[in-house]
Amino acid sequence: MQTRRQFVVRGTTLVAVGAAATAAGPTIVVRDARAAGQLKVLQWAHFVPAYDKWFDPFAKEWGAKHGVEVTVDHVNFAEVVPRATADVAAQSGHDIHMFIGLASAFEEQVIDLTDVSSALEKKYGKPVELAHRSTYNPFTRKQFAISDMWVPDPGNYHKEIWTKIGKPNGPVSYDDLVWAAPEVKKVAPQMQIPIGIGLSQDIDSNMAVRNMLWCHGGSIQDKDGNVVLNSPETLRALEYAKKLYSVGMTQAVLSWNAASNNQAFNAQETSYILNSISAYRTAQDNKLPVLDHYFFVPALKGPTGTQLASEHVMSGYVIWKFSKNQDAAKEFLVGLIDASRESMLASKLYNFPSYYGAAAEANTPLNKKSESGAAWIAAQCNKDPFGSNPPDKLALLAKSLPWSTNLGYPGFANPAEGEIFDTYVLTDMFAKAATGALSPKDSMMEASNRAKEIFTKWRQKKMVPGGGKDK
Amino acid sequence: MNTTTAVPAAPALTAGETIRRSDRRLGVLMLAPALIYIALLVAIPFLLALVLSLTNSSAGSLEFSFVGLQNFKNVVASAVFRRALWNTFVFTFVSQLTVMVLGNVLARALMKPFRGKGLARFLILLPWAAPISLATLGWLWIFDSTFSVINWVLKVAGWLGPGQWYYWLGDTTLGMVAIITIQVWRMLPFSTVILLAGLTSIPNEVREASAIDGAGLFSRIFRIEIPMMRPILTVAVLFGVVFTFTDMSVVYLLTRGGPYNSTHVLASLAFQEGVLGGDVGRGAAVAIFLVPVLVILAVFMLRTSRRAEVV
Repeated sequence: MQTRRQFVVRGTTLVAVGAAATAAGPTIVVRDARAAGQLKVLQWAHFVPAYDKWFDPFAKEWGAKHGVEVTVDHVNFAEVVPRATADVAAQSGHDIHMFIGLASAFEEQVIDLTDVSSALEKKYGKPVELAHRSTYNPFTRKQFAISDMWVPDPGNYHKEIWTKIGKPNGPVSYDDLVWAAPEVKKVAPQMQIPIGIGLSQDIDSNMAVRNMLWCHGGSIQDKDGNVVLNSPETLRALEYAKKLYSVGMTQAVLSWNAASNNQAFNAQETSYILNSISAYRTAQDNKLPVLDHYFFVPALKGPTGTQLASEHVMSGYVIWKFSKNQDAAKEFLVGLIDASRESMLASKLYNFPSYYGAAAEANTPLNKKSESGAAWIAAQCNKDPFGSNPPDKLALLAKSLPWSTNLGYPGFANPAEGEIFDTYVLTDMFAKAATGALSPKDSMMEASNRAKEIFTKWRQKKMVPGGGKDK
Repeated sequence: MNTTTAVPAAPALTAGETIRRSDRRLGVLMLAPALIYIALLVAIPFLLALVLSLTNSSAGSLEFSFVGLQNFKNVVASAVFRRALWNTFVFTFVSQLTVMVLGNVLARALMKPFRGKGLARFLILLPWAAPISLATLGWLWIFDSTFSVINWVLKVAGWLGPGQWYYWLGDTTLGMVAIITIQVWRMLPFSTVILLAGLTSIPNEVREASAIDGAGLFSRIFRIEIPMMRPILTVAVLFGVVFTFTDMSVVYLLTRGGPYNSTHVLASLAFQEGVLGGDVGRGAAVAIFLVPVLVILAVFMLRTSRRAEVV
């Protein structure tokens, strides 16, 4: 008969052996599945859920045709960068990683996709300029990502309210917003936030403040990568934001997340937001009362007529250097671009192809493909296949390319712009100036100093140009 | 002739010595899993953070160079960091003080017999059991600046007049109030259970004797029960302070550090800088500032607890 002490010793030993066997087991029993033809893709959970319902079977079918087992993992958009960080630190994980903002910070860890880009150009023509500027680094001459889609960022306005205040076609300029705010308060006192432009630490606010900055002539960098945030144009943008906030917004916009402006507009708590059509599709799917009043306008014009809006989303697919199936990964990306029409329709016109030529009619000559693709896109927007009333409600999106631009405008996207985006330097600058937490000048200087600190760091890593003409 | 020198045999171990040796081995064996866990998941990451804080490491690169104390200099010069440091102390101190007071009240209530005590105990424990991400999503709606149910109730009750509204997450002060409220809600069950254990361990004869001697309620609480409960109180406070000081989930999920980085605590700021922003060296430097405070707190509290035991 064993004593209690003997029982404890034997039991502990058994547990220890069992734990060791469990840890060692998989490494002994399971072969490296990658050698058998597997591809793992990390993808965001699309804002339009119907897209994922198309993408996952598409990926599986593509894999079946090419003898590759494709696995797709969806993560919340906020997890895209942390997951990339984790994969890089572990040097394993997925083969293909989809970024929805700037992938440039991870340039060193991804393979050069110049061959894929060249093949796609030979097949479909050049990508849209903003996609090119978001996926290519002219300083290192590296095609670090391939974009399959971008998303326009129009103004969404409440037609009934704007008609009541005498502008049935919505605002045209940023000054219109300042003029409209008190008028909206008079005709719709129940609306909590007359003008719903976010000034918080979230993705939509990041886009909105850049639109305001660019349309007032300011920018973070110039086309050569010098930091030029400290400028009279930036000050003008901040003074504008302060005015708009005082007449048309509340502290609510300082706390918004990516869904908040959608929720506020669909609940008819605001008359204008900057957003893609995801909020509109939600209103359609749920047959919300706001639907009949839901309309769109292009990017607003600044005081000198500059009309620009950031892409709302820009996909950037990268292939990690540690991927064991790089060739299959490259072919997958080409296959995804080939399916640009299906992608646009599956997303209910949320996704716009980065290669317009990929949406062209079959047998179109190469030099006409972009034109043909644009015509097809326009046909979808002019007569929404997803039941807009009127059917041409989304027609303006077909003409969005001229007023859409990339993060990093007027230069290329780069890791420094990415870090400024991800640490909310610009939204904080606008929020502090708008609320009076800091004067516009102090707010601008604080942000400018931080931007220069970030740019200097990335220049030391030789991934970002400029420096000689920082302001 | 055999000239081998006989080696004196080792003295046979006594029964007591055999047991002591196997006790030591058993002790090491039983401590090993915990020690390995602490080494792998605490010690090594801490040392890694220390090293990374002295480098220009970034998320997208496996190479880095040493930059000395530059990250620390940059971080200390940042108004956002100084704010986050202050917020961390306010967040910890205010939430733990509130938890201790409310925990005491709840523990005393739970000592009394009453109908539905089991259900009450279950409901009190529920916040501790609920995953913080799900709970915070619920609180996100409760504190939403546009749709807050608190505001709606206050409006219906006539507390909020026309044009009046509480922007819970859009105002710096109200944002901290919201964060502290959630942390109190979350930590209260843990403290209540520990304090309840402390209260029930005090012999009834002590309470009776104090009543006979004419001690009132507050005299009994502050002069008898709390001093007697000091070791347990110390454990509760230490755990609560450490847990709160290092927490990032409530801030990250509720305000993401906004408005304009004014509600960050050290942990959430370290995450924003190091993981989201990709500046791993800077993020590590921010995180390292947690260590000295935690070490001082732990030493202080354990000393206080040991002194109380000796007495």
